[in-house]
Parts: sequence; C-alpha cells; structure tokens
Amino acid sequence: MTNKKNKNQDGLSGNWKKLAPKSSRKPASRAAFRKRLLGITKVFALIVVLCLVGIVVQFFQERSQPNSGPLDITGSGMPVSKLMFVSDGVLHKNWFQNWFGPLRNRTLMDLDIEKIQKELKKESQISFARVSRQFPSTLKIELKEKKPILRLCLRSKTKGEQTWLVSSDGSLYLGTCYSNASLVHLPFLNIEPSLLTPNPEGKGYAKLEGITAVAPLMELARREYPGFYQNWKIISYQRPHDSDPGAHIHIKSGKVRNLRFAPQGFAAQLRRLKYLLMESDFRRTPVIESIDLSHDRSVFAKLNPS
Amino acid sequence: MSKIIGAVEIGTSKAKALIGEVAENGSLNVVGMASRPNEGMRKGEIVDFRKAAAAVHSALEDAEKMSGTTVDEVYLAQTGSHLKGHMLRGSASVASSDNRVDVADLQRAAEEAKRRKPDDGRTYVHHVRTPILLDGRIVQDPVGMFGSKVDLGYWSIDGDDQAIKQALHVISNYSLEVKDLILSSIASSTMMAGPDLRRAGTLVIDMGAGVTDFALYRQGFVACTGVIPVGGDHVTGDLSMGLRVLEPYAEKLKIEHGKAISDPMDEGEDVWIIGNKTIGDRSIPRKAITDVIHVRIAELFEILSKELEGLLDPDELKGGILLTGGASLLPGVEQIASKILGFTARRASFPTGIDSELAQPENATVLGLLHYGLEDHGLPGRKKEEVEAGFLGKFRKMVGLGAQS
Repeated sequence: MTNKKNKNQDGLSGNWKKLAPKSSRKPASRAAFRKRLLGITKVFALIVVLCLVGIVVQFFQERSQPNSGPLDITGSGMPVSKLMFVSDGVLHKNWFQNWFGPLRNRTLMDLDIEKIQKELKKESQISFARVSRQFPSTLKIELKEKKPILRLCLRSKTKGEQTWLVSSDGSLYLGTCYSNASLVHLPFLNIEPSLLTPNPEGKGYAKLEGITAVAPLMELARREYPGFYQNWKIISYQRPHDSDPGAHIHIKSGKVRNLRFAPQGFAAQLRRLKYLLMESDFRRTPVIESIDLSHDRSVFAKLNPS
Repeated sequence: MSKIIGAVEIGTSKAKALIGEVAENGSLNVVGMASRPNEGMRKGEIVDFRKAAAAVHSALEDAEKMSGTTVDEVYLAQTGSHLKGHMLRGSASVASSDNRVDVADLQRAAEEAKRRKPDDGRTYVHHVRTPILLDGRIVQDPVGMFGSKVDLGYWSIDGDDQAIKQALHVISNYSLEVKDLILSSIASSTMMAGPDLRRAGTLVIDMGAGVTDFALYRQGFVACTGVIPVGGDHVTGDLSMGLRVLEPYAEKLKIEHGKAISDPMDEGEDVWIIGNKTIGDRSIPRKAITDVIHVRIAELFEILSKELEGLLDPDELKGGILLTGGASLLPGVEQIASKILGFTARRASFPTGIDSELAQPENATVLGLLHYGLEDHGLPGRKKEEVEAGFLGKFRKMVGLGAQS
C-alpha cells in the first residue's frame, strides 16, 4: 500500500482529506453497527488476552522466585541501652527486669512490645500498661497499679497462710514490692468463704462484688477521719448492694468493738459517729461495745461490754 | 506478505464493494466482491444518506464475508455532475549549475501547477499528471537529463464540498478510512484501456445508470474528463413516460428488448409488457421502444460531442472510442456513438485473466479503482513509499511512528 499522504494530493492545493469526518457517532446501518461491535469486541478481547498473559507471567515469576518470607523493612536497630520505667505504684525497674529477663544484646526491634504489654496487663497488680520504643535505644514502660484497701488472710493446705490484698474494685492479688509499713495499717477483710470463687480466667480468685460498696467508706474514713480509720481492724459485710434493712457493713475496731454502717450515706454516718464519740459518756468509756449507725437517723449504742 | 485493499463505488443504481489481495509479486487477486441496489442516489449524488449508507455498508459487509478478512482503507470512486476538470500548468527552471534536471525541479514545477486554489465551497479531489516538457519537448522521465526549463501540468478535478463530504461520511460511518478518491472515469479507463490504447489516444465512455463519465487520453495521459448527468435510468424514465408503463416494467423492457438503433427486422413486431398476457398486460411495438431509447442515447452523445468540441482530433485519437458501463450493453449504442462522435466506437473488453463473472461492463469502475490505486502516479524519480501492513503497521500508524512524505 502507498503511504497515507497520497501521491495525487498536495498540500498546496485544496485537499479532500480535510473534508473527511473525524468520527461518526451513530452507525447509519445495521452493517455499520455490527462492524463497530466487532471492532469493540476485538479490542476488548485483546485487552483480556493481554491481562491474562500478564497474570500468567506474574504467576510464573512469583513461582520461580524463592520464598524469602516477610521483608525486613525496619532494619536491625540498636541494642536497648536504657529502660524508662514509670509507675504510679510500688513496682519498680528491678521488678520489671526480673519479670522480663535480661535485655542485654536485644535490640529495640527484636522486642515484641505488643506481647510485653499484653503480658503486663495479665499481672493482677497492674490495671494499665503501655510499652513503647523511644529510638534509638530506649524501651519505655508505663504502668498503673491497683491500690489495696483491705487485706484478706487465707489459709490453704498446700500453701499455708497467704495474705491477699483487696483493691477498691474487688480484685484480689498477692501484692509484690509492698513494704510492711505500707500494708500494716490496712484493715483485714472477713467474709463468708462462699463468696470466694476461683478466677475463671486462671489463677487466683474472682473479684469480690461487695467491695465496691465498701470501698467508698474506707476511702472516706481514711481521708476525713484517720482517727477512726487507724483503729479499724476487721471489716465484714452483708449484702451491701441491697437496700433492705439487713444490708450492712460491720467493722471491728479498737475503741468501738462493733461498728455497723448502712451501705449508703457514709458521710452522714461518720459525722454522727464523730459527734457521738465527742459525748462525755462516750469519751470517758474506754471501750464501747457497739454502735449501730445503719438505722437512718437513729443510733443504737451499747457502752459497756456485758 | 500479501496486502488487502478495498474499493467502493457508490453508483446510482448499485453500490459495489471489492476486496483485493495484492501478492508479493504485485499480482492482484479479487477475493471478495458484492453489490447492493442503491436507492439513495440520483444522478451520481447522494440524496438519501441512510439508504445510500445501508447499501454501501451491506455491500462492504458481504464482500468482507466473502473474502474472510476485513479492510481498513478503501479507494472510493467519485462521480457526479458537480465535478469539474481544469488543466493546471506549472514550470520551474533547472536549478543545478550543470543544467541537469533534479527531482526537486520537478517538485517545484508541480507545486507551481497546484498553486491555484479551487473556488469557495469546492475542493480538489483528483490531480492527474499530464506529460512533462523539458525545454518544450515531451519526455517520460527528465531526471538526470540536461535542460533549462521543466513544464508539467495536472488535469485537476474539483468538486462540491458537500457532495464529497457525503460520500466520505458513508465510508467513515462503516469505520473505514478513504485511502484515495479516484475519478470514476479514470478508474474505468485504467481497467478498460490498456497503456497502448492510451498512448494511441482514446476516449473511454462509461455509461452508468445515473451519469455518463468520460475520459479522453492523448499520448498516454489524461487530456480531459467529464460527467454528463444522463445515464441508463433516463432511458428507463423515458420508456416509462413514453410508453406509459411503470418503471419496473420499463426497466424490464429496456433490458430484454431495448435497442439503441432500429432494426428493419423489428418492424411490425410487438412485445408484451409483463409477458404472461394476463389482465393489465399489453403489447407494445418493438420499434416504439427502440425509438424512445434512440432519442435519449443520441442526445447523450450529442451532449458529449459538444463537451469535447475541438478535442477530438483524428491524429490524437487513433485508439477510437471505448464504451463501457451498464448502459453500454444496449445493442446499437456503439453505432450511434460512432455516427455522432465521428470515430469508431466499440464496446470495451476486459483484459485477459479476469474472471468472466467479474468482467462485466458495470464492474469496470470498481475493478479499475484497485488497479489505479496500485499504480504509481507520482513524479519521476520519487520513490513510492510503502507502509507496513499488518498489526505492526497499524500500531505504528496509530502512534504516529514511521516516515511521512
């Protein structure tokens, strides 16, 4: 075939090629429609074939390359040279190092911080944990610990007597790193053995539901009435979440051997107790047998032990 | 590797499509051909685009099916009374110091010749080169010869923009490109008049249904072309009017009993319009049919004679007159042509080697399109450039790679 520019035509004269329509949108006949459809089908088929060829080539390329596993895009990093440990409780850096093991010769990128964080949260004394990398070589540990409000002595045949700590949410845990001085002032908890149930998630015991009702009283007394609080020895309770007259919190203390609180309105009850003990009769009496503050505005007190 | 080329003639009575395969040795094999009745044309011009397009597209589709392949470009025949021919001449001085003619000299002369622009609303459709004169002498190829001035001319045919656009639109609507527009008369002349006849000088008259195209050759080159808006359909119309019969019956009478010149043997003989002698059928004297046809055919050649007045020189027309086209099949046409034009006229015959089914006078144009398209009509010394066929060639064309002349 000859070239597109025809030998019989010349640009210096009028050229019929300029009259040729660029495109014709609507086919004027069925034959033209079929021709266009065939053309579109051919183009589509060509694209499909090219795509299939591409997929096949890629498939064989991938098969021919050895599987090298996940790509290491982070690099090896530097060895951990510093441990930054922040806690609002008694746990400290040494505890973590004992708990985790040696960090020597381990780089930041070697450490699976997600796993460490998860394992820390499993510890019963820890309520919140965050582990992060601070490049180039610092591992940062941030913890929030549970605060003990009571102690619970349990005796078992295998482990003997163990002192468990009770936090304000009712969790029971064997405290670590606590000094004796910090625990000695905590009252003991006395509860029915039936209320202790094993922890469904594993070792230890399930949360004590009644503690959440007792905790505000303990917190208020410790903060506002430390004179009373320091004498409180043993705490027990009966259905503290119920509103019936039988629900109460029972405290054995030094001067008042038996204190009985209703499970709500602690501030008013403690105020009444304070005024009551300021009475001369109560002041003069060294040991008071019982004071029952659980009856709304009435207080029942028994001065002499009989 | 063989190449596929196509040709389309949008005729007044039929649309024809031809697909040819050009072998490596240059031989052309026709691998597909189809024709469809065309009701969208009058006197060689499109009057109903959708009907014309439907006929052309169906013919192209059938031809593609027959050939088992598809074409991307076609040669398109151009006819119609809107086409006008002019002789454009240009000259150039030989630029080299040794007065040796170079291709660039011819190129300058060609540019000079084609400098004239057609009138507003008209566009050149075909430039046909005439003999090259080197210092006034006719030469075949002046490149390398000594001389001082080169003259060359073009027989340039321009046409109405709207008519050309319509024809181009028919082809583009079938998602094809027009490779070249070729004048119908030149296409049919290429087919029917060989190089010897053209050198001797000949007038080729292609009598179509709507128009009659003619091309006059002198010394192997086109001297004049034209289109007369009279064709076989006018004869049919005359028969219908003159004999008061419906056009289909008039067409039947023309084909079966028509003669352009009266025959004494026909005196007193009648023919039946329908032929089965049922109600509505009636007989018509054969002489009446001949008389009607004769008048129209004689008028046609008289118009032609006026058109060619002064150009019909016996010394320049030794090849005589060749008649082709569907209407030339009427018996007696050649006698009328000879009588009116004053030169021996004969029905043109196809070159040997063409299948008898194809070698019909009405196929002269569409067959000639392919032959003319394959020939090199460029200036001497200029290499005929080829484009790559096949997928690579199409891709290069699509992205605009490859040499452009």
